[in-house]
Amino acid sequence: MATSTLNNVHFAGMATCVPKHVVHNVHDVPPHLRSERERLVRNIGIETRRVCPDWQCFSDLAYDAADKLLNDLQWSREEIGALIVVTQSPDYLVPATAIIMQDRLGLAHTTIAFDVNLGCSAYPFALQILGSMIASGAIKKGLVLLGDRSSYKHKDPLKDPLFSDAGTATALEYQEGAAPMYFDLNSDGSGYKAIIVPVGGHRNPFQLEHGIARKGEDGFWRSDLDLILDGPAVISFSTQRVPPTVENLLRYADIAKDEVDYFIFHQANRMINETIRKKLGLPEDKVPSTLRDFGNTSGASLPVTVTARLREALAQGKKRLLLCGFGVGLSWGGAIVDVEGAVFPELIIS
Amino acid sequence: MDNIEAFIEKFIAAVDFQEQVAITPETKLEDLPEWDSLAALGVIVMFDMEYGKTITGEHLKKAATVQDLYQLLA
Repeated sequence: MATSTLNNVHFAGMATCVPKHVVHNVHDVPPHLRSERERLVRNIGIETRRVCPDWQCFSDLAYDAADKLLNDLQWSREEIGALIVVTQSPDYLVPATAIIMQDRLGLAHTTIAFDVNLGCSAYPFALQILGSMIASGAIKKGLVLLGDRSSYKHKDPLKDPLFSDAGTATALEYQEGAAPMYFDLNSDGSGYKAIIVPVGGHRNPFQLEHGIARKGEDGFWRSDLDLILDGPAVISFSTQRVPPTVENLLRYADIAKDEVDYFIFHQANRMINETIRKKLGLPEDKVPSTLRDFGNTSGASLPVTVTARLREALAQGKKRLLLCGFGVGLSWGGAIVDVEGAVFPELIIS
Repeated sequence: MDNIEAFIEKFIAAVDFQEQVAITPETKLEDLPEWDSLAALGVIVMFDMEYGKTITGEHLKKAATVQDLYQLLA
């Protein structure tokens, strides 16, 4: 059982930033590949993606999101007790991006800052980590900067029709009597090879030959520095593990499905997301999707979907959200959060 | 359990062929232009949702014909 409850933690706000550059999965491929690409797009449900130019990092997007969120919340920068960056696209391998961001955002030296290495599953884990620090009384207010620049893994952004870039900021604060947050968080490292960049860490350090690209059967060039994704393993994992986890979380929280206003899933691809939705018997209008416009933005896909699809609904009053992430690790989990009186700036395009 | 004709209909929908193809139990999977990684995902989901059966990428690699896939239901 990986279930837990946090009390006295208020979800104060969330901001999302995506890059300006839009890539069209169908229109931007060479004519001889277009028919094949149309079939792919139909099945993965991703028409356009947002891709960072060379100079723009995940942290640049997250900075814009955090800066806007802090201003809209009217929080003083000295008040932030913790800054947690959750990404697999750090600025440098060393040091941690969170510490750089402490200075860049003008936060105090008393800020606790560190990175967490999680991808598609990250959002509920991040809420639990920061929320625990707040619930314990260690800090009163904190920020999570979460997201990835997944498109960098392929130098040519057309090679990979799934991944899209985004940076997000979420603010939590101590509030006596805030509605409880419920969590169910899980890990299975036996599946670590299912989504992996095999070269560049200490197990397989980078050698010059790893940078040499080879032309694949699909006509695209790839090197050992590219992400490897075992599609069948990922689809089996996602569709087998996620629905029971959602059921378990609801059972633990003693909340019925119709007492949840929206179910926000990691936006993996249409086949995976539709299978999960159908297995759980959820109506489409309670399961917002941003796959068509924003693709798979890794862990940021939950904030992207909340900002792009639920901002207006959340402004109208209290809403109960079930947020569920799953993917690289393998890692998966969910959180139930009641959102009331929180700040949601419009989608930032930077 | 479905007969093989009904299974083939579901297989065709799962692979999402660009152009209509005639498929028999003896059809070799590698001869199908769309028998690719996307088709594999479609077939895995089809087995799960239509038949409640979990199959892996290894099962698919070992299958040579449509009949071999059908036998995974047994």
